[in-house]
Amino acid sequence: MTTVLLIVHGLLAVALLGAITHQAASVLWPAPRPAGSFTGRFRAVAAPGYANTVVILYVMTAILGGVIYAEYRVNIRIVLVELKLDAANGSFELKEHLAAIGLGMLPAYWWSWRQPDGRLRAPLTAMLAFIVWWNFLVGHIVNNIRGFGS
Amino acid sequence: MRRAFPIFAIVFAVVYAVVYAVSVWKNYALFTYHPALNEFGMGVQKAKEGPAMYWYGWMATSAIVASLAGLVACLLPEQAARRLWPGLAWLVPLCAMLFFAWLLREYFLR
Repeated sequence: MTTVLLIVHGLLAVALLGAITHQAASVLWPAPRPAGSFTGRFRAVAAPGYANTVVILYVMTAILGGVIYAEYRVNIRIVLVELKLDAANGSFELKEHLAAIGLGMLPAYWWSWRQPDGRLRAPLTAMLAFIVWWNFLVGHIVNNIRGFGS
Repeated sequence: MRRAFPIFAIVFAVVYAVVYAVSVWKNYALFTYHPALNEFGMGVQKAKEGPAMYWYGWMATSAIVASLAGLVACLLPEQAARRLWPGLAWLVPLCAMLFFAWLLREYFLR
């Protein structure tokens, strides 16, 4: 069951990664319209439309992560400690704290995309994108070190 | 509602980040989870069988305090609320992120 939840958690994280990266790229590096190149089209998305999706995916990914986190603490973390993989262990500790801080930013992030001037959009979206990328990569690496069911 | 939500959202982001950082640092978890026993206990409890998990409790503490602070801020007169700089909604969480990088530095410097 935990393995199934981990896979769903990973799939939700992939969707979140795509949505927040499109949005961050469009707000930090706006593309001329109509965009001709691949990178231009990547950045030229209708970014405000992603805000609801990002909030829902972030919350769902965090809830599922919270459910399987107990399994990590009981069966995975102890192996990282025994193998003295301090950087991997510390990276995962940072992941849990960044995920929590990101949750607290979601109402302000959502509101910033509802504003016409949107001065808060760029920093909040960039920070959430950083959190999502960090958490995705660390989760992926730790799973490679000691995946569930191994 | 139109005036209240931005105030609530900004105060929530600020207070949540500060309270979460302090909760982790001083261990002010609202409750403890013992995953090996599938057991919850109020407040900070020592590990029984297997590890004790405080993460859920830290988030609960932060969410409750931040929600209350946000609601109180919504009751402030408009003039006082205008002094609230919206940039705090990203600056304070950014400082909290840097604080955690500092707090966990030993993992990366060993």
